[in-house]
Amino acid sequence: MIQPRLSLKRNSEVSRTDPEPTSEASKEPAVESSAPEERDRARPAQTGPGHRVSVSDLHAYYGATEAVKGVSIDFPPREVTAIIGPSGCGKSTMVRCINRMHEEIPHARAEGRIMLDDNDLYAHGVDVTSVRRLIGMVFQKPNPFPTMSIFDNVASGLRLTGNRGDNLRERVHRSLRAVGLWGEVKNRLDSPGVGLSGGQQQRLCIARTIAVEPEVILMDEPCSALDPVATLKVEELIDELKEQYTIVIVTHNMQQAARVADSTVFMLDGHLIEHAPTKELFTNPKDERTERYVTGKFG
Amino acid sequence: MQETRSNYREALKSLERQTLEALDMVVQALDRALEAVSYQDVELAGMVVADDDRIDGRYLEVHQGILSLLALQTPVATDLRIVAALLHVIRHAERMGDQCVNIAKLLPLSGYEAPKDKDLLDAIERMGQLARSQVSQAKQAFAERNADLAYDLLRQDAEINQLNIDIFNRALAIGDDIETREWAMHMILVARCLERIGDNAVDIGEQTAFVVTGLFREFADASHPG
Amino acid sequence: MSATIESPNPPPKLFTTSARRKRVNRSMEVLSTLAAGLAVAVLVIVVGSVVIKGVSALNLDFLTETPAPFGAPGGGIANSIVGTFLLVAIASVIAVPIGLLIGIHASEFARPRVSNAVRFALDILSGVPTIVTGVFIFGLLVAGHVQSGYAGSVALAIIMLPIVARSAQEVLRLVPNSLREAAVALGVARWRMVLRVVLPTAAGGLITGAVLGVARVAGETAPLLLTSSIASNAVSWNPTQALSSIPVTIFTLSESPAPADHARGWAAALVLIVGVLALSVFARSLHERSRRRLRG
Repeated sequence: MIQPRLSLKRNSEVSRTDPEPTSEASKEPAVESSAPEERDRARPAQTGPGHRVSVSDLHAYYGATEAVKGVSIDFPPREVTAIIGPSGCGKSTMVRCINRMHEEIPHARAEGRIMLDDNDLYAHGVDVTSVRRLIGMVFQKPNPFPTMSIFDNVASGLRLTGNRGDNLRERVHRSLRAVGLWGEVKNRLDSPGVGLSGGQQQRLCIARTIAVEPEVILMDEPCSALDPVATLKVEELIDELKEQYTIVIVTHNMQQAARVADSTVFMLDGHLIEHAPTKELFTNPKDERTERYVTGKFG
Repeated sequence: MQETRSNYREALKSLERQTLEALDMVVQALDRALEAVSYQDVELAGMVVADDDRIDGRYLEVHQGILSLLALQTPVATDLRIVAALLHVIRHAERMGDQCVNIAKLLPLSGYEAPKDKDLLDAIERMGQLARSQVSQAKQAFAERNADLAYDLLRQDAEINQLNIDIFNRALAIGDDIETREWAMHMILVARCLERIGDNAVDIGEQTAFVVTGLFREFADASHPG
Repeated sequence: MSATIESPNPPPKLFTTSARRKRVNRSMEVLSTLAAGLAVAVLVIVVGSVVIKGVSALNLDFLTETPAPFGAPGGGIANSIVGTFLLVAIASVIAVPIGLLIGIHASEFARPRVSNAVRFALDILSGVPTIVTGVFIFGLLVAGHVQSGYAGSVALAIIMLPIVARSAQEVLRLVPNSLREAAVALGVARWRMVLRVVLPTAAGGLITGAVLGVARVAGETAPLLLTSSIASNAVSWNPTQALSSIPVTIFTLSESPAPADHARGWAAALVLIVGVLALSVFARSLHERSRRRLRG
C-alpha cells in the first residue's frame, strides 16, 4: 500500500533563499546587543499568503469518552487564535488533534477533517511525522533535552528529522535570535540547555520548534509555568512570531488571550460556543455562556 | 451555589446604586430650583446652590470607585460596558446639578419682585416638569436596562425644544418696561438651562442603549437630525 | 464589664508536647538507630572476617599463579580469576544487549498491558533459584556432553537477564514523558526519538543496571557447580571446556582438609568481595551522574 507523503507546499520557503545569511555570519561579531533591532534583522522577508488550518466537525475520544464533540474552527494565516474555556472543556485535546499528537495516547482517537491549506491531515495514509514537522508544538512545562547543549537543543529538530543542511549553524543562530535569546546565550552555546532559567528554557523550546521552520505553531498554555516577567517576554515573542506563522494558543488566562490573540474561541464541555475577534468577545460577547465565563460568573 | 467574585459584584452594584442616587439628587435639586423660580424664593435658591456640593462629591466618589474597579478587577463584556456607562452617567448627573445651580443663581438677579407674565411662567413650569420627568425616566431606564424606555426620552425632548422656542418668542413679545424685559431675559436663560438638562437626560438614555446592545448610537434628536 | 485585666483561660495546649509522645518518639528513634547499627555491624563483621582471615594468604603471587599441587605451599587463583572474568564477560555479552532491548521494548514500544506482563515475567524469572537454573542448563547443555564455560555463561546470563531488563525498564520509566512528547512533536520518528533522546538521558541508569547485574552473577556458585566446576588448574581462555571460577574455587578450598587451603579460600573470598564492591561503587557513581542529568 502506498503511503502518500504529505506534499510540502512551503510558500515561505521561496523567500528564504540565502542572500542574507552569509552577510549575517560576518555580522555576528559586530552585533553585541540583544535589542529588538537585532531580532528584526534575523527575520527573512515575508512573502506568501501564509498557512491556514481548518478544522471540520472534529470528534475526539479517550476510549469511550467523547472530549471534543463536533468542533469546526478556521485558523486564519499569520494570526494568533486563542482557545479559552474551563478545565476539561476539550481545548487542549482539540489542539493536540491538529498535529495528531492526540492519537499517541493509548485508546485515544480522533475523527473529522483537519485541513492544512490544501492537505487533509487525517486523510487515509498520511504520514504523521511529516504532519508534525509542519505543525510545531510548545508545551506547558519547558522541556529542553537534558543531555544536549543549547546549540544541540535548537538543532535537534533539524538533525533528528534527517535534515542535514550545511546551514545548520546559521539556522540555529537565526532561531535563537528570533526568540531573543541570542544575546543571553551566544557565549555559551555549548552549555547544557537545562541550565537556563524557566523563561529562557521556554524560549529555547520555541527556538527549537521554529528551527525546523514549521507552518503553524501550537502552544498549549506556554506561560503557565513562568513568572510574570518571563510571561510577558514570551507574549511579546508571540506577537513577533505571528508575522511569519499561524499560531494557536490554548490558555486558561483570559487576560493573556486578551493581550495576545487576534481572535478568541470559547469552548465548553467539548463544544465550540463562540468564536469572535478578541475585542468583541471581551466587550460584547454574543452567547450568554461566554458572557458568564469571561465575567467570572462561573469558574 | 455561591456566586463567584462576590466582592466584585457587590462593588459593581454599589457603584451603580451610587450613580443612580445622584440622579435622585438631581431631581430634588431641580424641584427646588423650579419652586424657587415660581415663587421668587431666593432662600430656596440659596439652598440649591449649597446642596450641589453633595452631587459634586458623589461624582468624585463614583469616579474613584470606577478607577479602582478597573484596576483591581478588570471587568469585561457587559460589566465593562456598565462601568464605562456609569462614568458617563455620573458626569451627566454632575452637569445637570450644575444647570440647577445656574437656574438658582439667576433668581437674586431678577430682584424680589413677583414674576411679570403668567403665560411665560406657565411655559417655564411646564418645561421644568418635562425635564424632571426626563431625568426620572432616564434613571428608571438605566436601572431596568430598558432601551425602549430610554429611546422614549426623545419624545419629551422634542416637546422641551418646542417650549424653548415658544418661551423665546414670548419673551420677545412682552417687555414694555425695563423690569419686565429683565425678568423675561432671565427666564430665557432658565429655559436654556432646562433644555440642557433635557439633553443630558437623553445622553443617559444613549448610555442605557449602549449597555443593552453593545453598540453606541446617538439618538436622533433636534441637534442631530436624522 | 470590670476594668481589671486578668487572663480568663489558661494558655492553650498547643505548644507543649505531651511527655508520652516524647517518650514514644525517643524510643522509635533509638530502635531504628539500633536496627541500622545492626545492619552495618553485620556488614562490618562479614567483611571484617574475610579480610582478617584472608589477608594473610593474599599476595601478588596469589593473584598471578595457578594453584600448586595438592598440599604444596604457594600457588594462587590466577586461573579462577581469568575464568570468572571470562564467564562473566560472555554472560554479559548475552544478557546485557537482550536485557536492554527487553527493557526498551517494554518501556517505549509495548502497550501498557504487555509491559506489565513483561515486568511480571521478569520478576518471576529473577526469583527462580539459581540452582534450578543450573540444573536446567545442565540438562540442556551438559548432560550427554561435557561441562563448558559456555554452559556456565548461559546459566549466568539467564540469572543476569531479569536484573538488567528490570532495571532498564525502571530507569526508562523515570525519563519524563515530556521529553518524548517534545521529540515526537518535532516530527522525529519513534525509534530515533528513543535512540537519540531517551537512551542518552537514561544512559547512566542503564549502565548501572548492567553493572549491577554483573556484580550479582560474579559471585554465583550454584549454576557453575553444575556446568563449569571440573576445570584444570591452568589458566584457560577456552570456553568450550569448563572454566575455573572464584566462587567454585572458594567452595572447593573450603572443603579441603588442609588449613593452608582454608586460608586461600578466605583470600579468594576477599578478592571476590573487593571486586564486587568496586563494581557496585562504580555503578553507584554512574547512577548519581545520570540522576543529576535527569533533574536538570
